[in-house]
Amino acid sequence: MISELHNPLAGAAAVSTSALCKRYGTQIALDCLDLNVPEGAVYILVGPNGAGKTTLLRTLLDLCRADSGQAQLFGLSSTQDGPAVRSQIGYVPDSPDLSFTDYKVGELLRHHSVYFPQWDSDYAKRLTTSLEVNLDSRCSTLSKGQVRRVQLVQALAHRPALLLLDEPTDGLDPLVRDRVMGLVAEHLDTSPTTVLISTHLVHEVEGLGDHLGVLRNGRLIAQLERSELDRRLLVARGEVSDGWDLAPPFPVLSHTHRGREHAWTLWTDGQPIEDRLAATGITVRSVESLTLEGATRALLAMETSS
Amino acid sequence: MLININQASHRPIYLQIVDEVRRAIAVGTLQAEDSLPSVRQTAVDLRINPNTVQQAYRELEREGIVHVRRGRGTFVTGLRDSADERKELARSLAITALQEAQRHGFNLDELIDALRLEAAGGSTREDQS
Repeated sequence: MISELHNPLAGAAAVSTSALCKRYGTQIALDCLDLNVPEGAVYILVGPNGAGKTTLLRTLLDLCRADSGQAQLFGLSSTQDGPAVRSQIGYVPDSPDLSFTDYKVGELLRHHSVYFPQWDSDYAKRLTTSLEVNLDSRCSTLSKGQVRRVQLVQALAHRPALLLLDEPTDGLDPLVRDRVMGLVAEHLDTSPTTVLISTHLVHEVEGLGDHLGVLRNGRLIAQLERSELDRRLLVARGEVSDGWDLAPPFPVLSHTHRGREHAWTLWTDGQPIEDRLAATGITVRSVESLTLEGATRALLAMETSS
Repeated sequence: MLININQASHRPIYLQIVDEVRRAIAVGTLQAEDSLPSVRQTAVDLRINPNTVQQAYRELEREGIVHVRRGRGTFVTGLRDSADERKELARSLAITALQEAQRHGFNLDELIDALRLEAAGGSTREDQS
């Protein structure tokens, strides 16, 4: 286990949890979780199905109660200050479901807006146009993708201080997915906000994310700034001669080789590593940072093998 | 100008933007006193974090390639010699070529020889003409 994968994150926290635990029967959903999302961050939360992502977001909103531990949002308690917390949050839930209501979409949005004094109707109008939301459709008749679009309008239009997006592009076609990412990029520039996005599709948020949290079996196995990842998590490729039995002088997250050609995913100290690899007898061919998606894969693979 | 980036690339996105602006200046697409696209426009077009665009523009400003006029935008600075700019661009091309050559196990001389041969159109490969 590399303890530096849990660097304390700089700046005031928009969201922080301490030792958050939640079980469903014998199933552990959240295992002593310490999440830390700095203000202004675009925090990408990844992890396999059942890792606890949805439970975590629901706990922050007090839609589900932790067994122990605490969650604070902008210094407020998720359980004691529920309404105050929720008024500052835009939420896209995990399930694209509006079948509980007989409202038309326009009526639903009007109803929703009443709860948020900061609701920006001009912005809501632009979002509905851009996402091609039909205000006259009945909510109960919408497809999964259409529900998603309505939920995105609901989440964004009051320009909340915190956006919690649980698989926000789930059910959307590729064209609309892309448009949603454009809307989020624009939103980041027009509204000061902190974003926590849970997703499997890391490549979609490659350009947006500046923090990464990797969740597995209810535990954060890594929580890092993007710049730290770029600087320190590196893939080195090179060749070694027959009989070479040394190892790179850094923690190795993964190692593959075919014949003489090797590739190591390394957690380095952030200083140039070429010479130090060469000193162990490796003919270095390349040293590269990983994409967010590559980093996710490497970090998840690490936990399985150690 | 149209900024083109590759999100799957290992090169940080803000540096790719810096490269693109440099390229546009070197080939004359961007000229002195032309404005760069706004941070918001670039962020939306590329589906990237506006902070990344700001970081790129700050870097360009630090290098004296552009300057910011408060409330009006970011503009290409006229002072810089375009010969310098071309040199800088050639340098970044050279770095890419060298890294690739090294990855394939070629040394500098072998790379230069291959470049010369290719540029002279005299490669020994049988063309399909």
